[in-house]
Amino acid sequence: MAERRVAVTGVGVISPLGSGLDDFHRALCEARSGIRKLPPEVAQGSGVQVGGLIDWQPAPLFKEAEAANLDRASQFALAAAAQAISASTLKLDGGSDRTGVYWGTGLGGAHSLEVAYKQVYGAREWRVRPLTVVMAMSNAAGSNVAVRHGLRGPFANFATACSSSAMALGEAMHTIQSGRADAMIAGGSEALLTPGTLVAWQALRTLAPADAADPAASCKPFDKRRGGLVLGEGAAAFVLEEETRARARGAPILALLTGYGNSCDAAHMSRPDRGGQIRAMREALAESRLEAQAIGYLNAHGTATAVGDVVEAEAINAVFGDATARLPVSSTKSMHGHLLGGAGALEFAAALLPLMRGWLPPTAFLEQPDAACRLRHVPLRAERVAPPQAVMSNSFAFGGSNVVLVAGRA
Amino acid sequence: MDTLSRIKNLASKEFSLDAQALDPAAPLDSLGIDSLSFIEFMFKIEEEFGVSVSDEDLKGIKTLGDLERHVAAALSAAGKA
Repeated sequence: MAERRVAVTGVGVISPLGSGLDDFHRALCEARSGIRKLPPEVAQGSGVQVGGLIDWQPAPLFKEAEAANLDRASQFALAAAAQAISASTLKLDGGSDRTGVYWGTGLGGAHSLEVAYKQVYGAREWRVRPLTVVMAMSNAAGSNVAVRHGLRGPFANFATACSSSAMALGEAMHTIQSGRADAMIAGGSEALLTPGTLVAWQALRTLAPADAADPAASCKPFDKRRGGLVLGEGAAAFVLEEETRARARGAPILALLTGYGNSCDAAHMSRPDRGGQIRAMREALAESRLEAQAIGYLNAHGTATAVGDVVEAEAINAVFGDATARLPVSSTKSMHGHLLGGAGALEFAAALLPLMRGWLPPTAFLEQPDAACRLRHVPLRAERVAPPQAVMSNSFAFGGSNVVLVAGRA
Repeated sequence: MDTLSRIKNLASKEFSLDAQALDPAAPLDSLGIDSLSFIEFMFKIEEEFGVSVSDEDLKGIKTLGDLERHVAAALSAAGKA
């Protein structure tokens, strides 16, 4: 049987850097940051100072009554998926048995759960909305996408923290390759900037404080001055299709998804492990049948934690060897923050920028690179390049899950 | 405003339906109101009227007219009407 290759034919983005792939890519090219001071009603007593908060207006995409029945994470998912499907020109009228949805999210409907808990533990009123369960459940976002478009093929929801949506993409690629589906909507969303979730993150002592001079510059991956991660929210969705079918219908082929590595550290719940990261990167390269030298850009996990950035830099050096010196690496989290369950998908969209448009997205605010992170950085400003043969995107999660995606030119 | 008009207005907002055209005798599913949507709607009805409809009574409600009768009875029992 001929090999079934997987084409990316549509991308949708809802992010702190704007809505839509074009705006997202433009912001990355301009090294613009979507991180800002959290307003008091969001931060409340959590002590969290900054975040990649989206100024979200459900209208006109959702009517008021409809929006009231959809968690913010589901609204982001539906908006991103609609963009991706529209861009792909895939006709889904009447739905499809051969198209499915794989989605990723860390927490699911955090806002809906918090509203219910506030009612019960705050107001001491044991009466919550009947839709609380179906709005808050982890698979709600993906299920809403399937329901909206009648996608009756394979469905799964991945909840592996920061690798969730990268895993959704990788597994969707395998599902198309295996012949179980001809097209998949894959991606992820997260919307957990709620006081209750923020205070839990604050308790971990891993969040960056606001940069005194410029709150937008609070996330500084690979920089000596880095002070931790900055939480963000949003979604990214992709239409993945079996390549020959996509070409036959004249679809826009933006890139090919060629490699997926998946490993578990099995060592510690939060401390990253070089070995697991190395295995995932090597597996993604092997599946793509590429030598390390073929990778022309790497979107790092790069959360801007003291330990995480160093371990990832070591792992990259171990995989790429001498080629590390010529491999441009950046962490776009410096601009959009950490979308957790949505991070892998959003950063895969960032990694497509060099392939699609010949620009390397930068690590914003990287003025003082940490010598312990020995990498060929893309500091401060985007760089113009010839589109590389392939790109890589790393997503490493609490719980030890490591997912690496590789994409090639269309 | 009478009870039925208030219910119709709430239903029109919740389900994007034309309040004037809502037939109180029409089965709920013919209006596109499924069981889950109806349970969420009942939650709002209870808030609006300050009444409580039992699970047992809920099973007997098949139309907006049925709903009006239950709400009116609950209001009357609570001395609110």
